[in-house]
Amino acid sequence: MSQSLASSPIPARAGIGLRLPHQSMVATERPTAAWFEVHPENYMADEAALAELEQLRAHYPLSLHAVGLSLGSAVGVEAAHVARLRDLSERLAPGLISDHLSWSVANGHYLPDLLPLPYTEEALAIVCRNVGQVQQALARTLLIENPSTYLCYASADMSEAEFLAAVVQRTGCGVLLDINNIYVSARNQRRDAHEVLAHWSQALDHRSVGEMHLAGHAVVATTDGAELRIDDHGDRVCADVWSLYAAAIAEFGVLPTLLEWDTRLPDFRVLQEEAQHAQQLQDDYTSLPLARSSRADFRNQANAAHA
Amino acid sequence: MQRTPDIAGAQVAPALWPLAMLQSRMATALMAADDAGRELPAALFAGAMPGAEGLRVHRNTVLGGLSHALRQTYPAVDQLVGEAFFDRMAVEFSRAQPPRAPQLGSWGHGFVAFIDGFPGTGNLPYLRALAQFDARFDELARRVPDDRHAGVAVPLHGELNLYFTAGLLVHSSSYPVAALREAILADDAAALAAVDLACGEQHFAMWRTAEGVMLQPLGAAAASYLRAVLDGGTSEQALAAALSAGDSPEGAVAAQLQQEILQARFVRVATHNNAATGAGQ
Repeated sequence: MSQSLASSPIPARAGIGLRLPHQSMVATERPTAAWFEVHPENYMADEAALAELEQLRAHYPLSLHAVGLSLGSAVGVEAAHVARLRDLSERLAPGLISDHLSWSVANGHYLPDLLPLPYTEEALAIVCRNVGQVQQALARTLLIENPSTYLCYASADMSEAEFLAAVVQRTGCGVLLDINNIYVSARNQRRDAHEVLAHWSQALDHRSVGEMHLAGHAVVATTDGAELRIDDHGDRVCADVWSLYAAAIAEFGVLPTLLEWDTRLPDFRVLQEEAQHAQQLQDDYTSLPLARSSRADFRNQANAAHA
Repeated sequence: MQRTPDIAGAQVAPALWPLAMLQSRMATALMAADDAGRELPAALFAGAMPGAEGLRVHRNTVLGGLSHALRQTYPAVDQLVGEAFFDRMAVEFSRAQPPRAPQLGSWGHGFVAFIDGFPGTGNLPYLRALAQFDARFDELARRVPDDRHAGVAVPLHGELNLYFTAGLLVHSSSYPVAALREAILADDAAALAAVDLACGEQHFAMWRTAEGVMLQPLGAAAASYLRAVLDGGTSEQALAAALSAGDSPEGAVAAQLQQEILQARFVRVATHNNAATGAGQ
């Protein structure tokens, strides 16, 4: 797979999800941020925002995090949308491009959500076909993110981690490991998030993990009063997810990590504070002696904090 | 085991549905308006979370996302009717005309016609006009500002040309939409009540600068002139359109064009060889 030359690689530091309400301020004031990530679909019908992003791109590394490729659609990926993403990629030269292990197109309509896939052999073949087509069109590898899940299918014959590991193996794509999504999915399925993370660590080739995501989520009640966690990206990262992130660093190493915030968007300063928190955890880890025992202690501390 | 007819009429257990069938059924269930249409076989799902709960989360995300996209394009309509009523209109519209592509900024043009006469809006005769005006603002806000007046160029006379800002448009309405929109977005009930709805047809030039979307009221003659030019007409054809637009004497029309077109910020008068300099700056 040929990899197009990215003019500015994404550093293994904590970056910030850039949303349109903050963009003009960022373009004029150029606040401190290690890197930014944007949703490309927000720029495909907004030439003004794209022109501003191009200006801003000269000062920050940039990643494109798509939400509309629908990599799990049985009907295949839409060539026109892939072409739009390719055009943006050529204009912005992002360090990374990613999308989700999900689907959002059926019956000729686009549903703005990351809908879950049944982890079956049939779905695996379809995802691999679609990922292959997109990577070929973009002439670069994609990172694929694990979504938050609220549904599990009776037909599944492998776990999400095993499914994504197989996609990586067959297509050469990478993984964007969303730590908040691991936590939300685990809690919604009444599982221990650290055990689920350990399963991810077992299933994945660690070299395939190219980025991590962090975000806040909402805690609500189901109609029968049970706890339900919703990945709304509308709050600070919770303590449990920070703990899980520390454990993830211990498992996978320090990687580019993005702080996402989409709903009830606060002042940009709050996003910087959250990114700084992630950066501190990265720095704590990298300042440890390289001895295996120190890294193991770090992981044990993260797990103990969770317990 | 619960069984459901597949596309060919055969019986297929939900756990064995092909992916295309599962996605088609789920998409239909997520967009359905009635409880019966929202149901999917419980046997499709496993795990700790009931399938119906998970579907409810996804339904809220899908419909909430579509409402949010429309709210970005129609902020004055949203403010006027209130969040809950806007969501009702948006959800019904989304079910009737769902998007076909992920760039939602280019979806929703049909919303203007859809909400015209929407049940419960009988006391808002200008709702459609307001929605059209919102859509115009949104359309222009997404354009790159044009400081070079790189749009239509029209020979004036001699060696002079008129250079218009790219994306310039003329908007006409039977209602005073600019005053209505300004009062609504300012949440100024007194100003809104004071707007004269019977003031007759209004015309505006609208264009995009680095400061945002610009608006200039136009008389009927100036609006006709500008519309003719932007439609590709010559200066002579545009002048003829302006003269036939109203019952103003020729001298009054000339004065209006001088004031509202030649001295406007959306036009630059320059020589053929030097579009960047000249009068009207």
